[in-house]
Amino acid sequence: MTNSHASGPWRALRWTVAGIYVFVFAPILITASVSFNESNRSLFPPRGFSLRWWDRAFSPEWLEPLLFSLQLASLTAAICVTLGTPLAFALTRWRFRGRMAVAALTLGPLMMPALVTGVGLLQLFQIAGARGSIGFPALLAGHVVISLPFAVRCVGISLQGMPHNVELAAMSLGARPWRVQWEIVLPLIKTGVIAGAVFAFVHSFTDVNLSIFLAAPGQIPVTVKIMGFLEFGFAPTLAAVSVITLVVPLIVVGIVQWFFGLGDFIYGDAR
Amino acid sequence: MATRADRPPALALKGIAKNFGAVAAVRGFDLDVAEGEFVTLLGPSGCGKSTTLALIAGFFPADAGEIHLRGKHVEGLPPFERDIGVVFQDYALFPHMTVAENVGFGLRMRKVAKAEIASRVAEALDLVKLGGLGERRPLQLSGGQRQRVALARALVIRPAVLLLDEPLSNLDLKLREEMRAEIAALQRRLGITTVFVTHDQGEALAMSDRIAVMNGGAIEQIGKPADIYERPATKFVADFIGRTNFLPARVLARAGEIVDVECLGRRFAVRDARAGVGPALLAVRPERAQLSPSPDGLDFEAEVAQVLYLGAKREVHLAGPGGVELVVDAANLGDGAAPVPGARVRFAAPPEACLLLPA
Repeated sequence: MTNSHASGPWRALRWTVAGIYVFVFAPILITASVSFNESNRSLFPPRGFSLRWWDRAFSPEWLEPLLFSLQLASLTAAICVTLGTPLAFALTRWRFRGRMAVAALTLGPLMMPALVTGVGLLQLFQIAGARGSIGFPALLAGHVVISLPFAVRCVGISLQGMPHNVELAAMSLGARPWRVQWEIVLPLIKTGVIAGAVFAFVHSFTDVNLSIFLAAPGQIPVTVKIMGFLEFGFAPTLAAVSVITLVVPLIVVGIVQWFFGLGDFIYGDAR
Repeated sequence: MATRADRPPALALKGIAKNFGAVAAVRGFDLDVAEGEFVTLLGPSGCGKSTTLALIAGFFPADAGEIHLRGKHVEGLPPFERDIGVVFQDYALFPHMTVAENVGFGLRMRKVAKAEIASRVAEALDLVKLGGLGERRPLQLSGGQRQRVALARALVIRPAVLLLDEPLSNLDLKLREEMRAEIAALQRRLGITTVFVTHDQGEALAMSDRIAVMNGGAIEQIGKPADIYERPATKFVADFIGRTNFLPARVLARAGEIVDVECLGRRFAVRDARAGVGPALLAVRPERAQLSPSPDGLDFEAEVAQVLYLGAKREVHLAGPGGVELVVDAANLGDGAAPVPGARVRFAAPPEACLLLPA
């Protein structure tokens, strides 16, 4: 039995998987190594060793957009689960008029390029004469629109995975509706809510397609700042900043995974 | 029995009805359950038994009728104000709570003091033989243990009525038979009024004080297990509970409790209180039919089609006149006298084994 794993299609599969890993990790490793260049240019393999690009990456010029992105992503995640949890409830539990429309509007941005949403929102704010809200308010609105589907899907999956009849059982034991929600439903969908928040956070933090239209001077997410900086060529500073922006979501996922366990959600098979 | 009649029934349904769209799931029937009684709603899937249970629990409102619990109208009350205990088919335990927290949930909702909750939970767990497992989680338990937790959780609140919705159908056969004896014993010991829903006639016969056989959203017959089995009122009941041979017959005349019956060319007298003169259905249970002649009862020739050896008995399948299929249970008397396929035998039954049903 074990022999068959060493030959034929299994070997091909192994090489394919190895290839995928190389394509995923090689650019990250190259970028990371470039950031330690002694040279002024982004050379690979790096020449010498220096931390000066990292020093620059932690200067206010880059820390400010990074902090801005963190705030934006955190607030986006909070709003997404606050709106998304009741929305997921309505969509999975109730059959009401316009349910399909609500589902399409909520989940639609998953299918639509964020770029289109960005252009649309920019025009909307201009037509509505709310140019002043371009910047943080507009970014927040946009990020909520494109990140909400993740929260709704995650909570929806937990709701569907809930054991049948537990709510009826709680009610028959004397629990009033809000107690049923608080003591039975919420604990059972907790992982979904947290996973939704994490996905929304990561989606917002890494977005550039939408943010590029809605950023304003002094209110620039780090991704947009990186895009702008690219016009001047790929300086090693950029490599350092890229690594930072990669590590932030990983830390968030790691912390949440440590405390709550998102394995089920990240690898499918939600229960 | 007299004392039971003096008190109001623990549970009374009056003209209870429920439609789902155009489908009448429950069509307006009455049912009284006495204090401490074990009543089973028995029927095939879709007969309305689970809907009836959900109406008693208050999981959705009835379209018509009244539900009285210990003399109090409850049809307008939500489930959390009804004083009921429910055991679900899938147990519906709270997976994020320990066994003790599951069992104590109903007491906590009733704002019982912590110390009393602890002692009553321990007592309830001992009752279902789960003492010492209070700190486990439901997912760490076997199916049978989960079922016991569900039972303890419903019993610990000492509800006016215990509702059991096919609680045994997720267990394997051996465990199911064990649990049905145990639940029946527990119910009798605690004297708790119980409504049990099942499609399993064996469970119904073994556990119930009375069985209500349901069909098409109404009660077809209600009575003690022996009455339901020995004296089914309709073809549906006779067919659903146990096996029955049905033969076309005709009631020729009645003289008091005795009627004159004609069936497949044979005329004989049967004791019967209900049947009117005219066409009828003659019902004979396989275990009461015989392969040897009956001088004063039903008796005609049939051909052996198949013989199934079942150890304690043989199930003899016959082809009667006009190809009618019949079954006779022949006890294994150790004399090796087994009929063989193709043999011509008698299909016979003494008058007391013949039951008349409306055609």
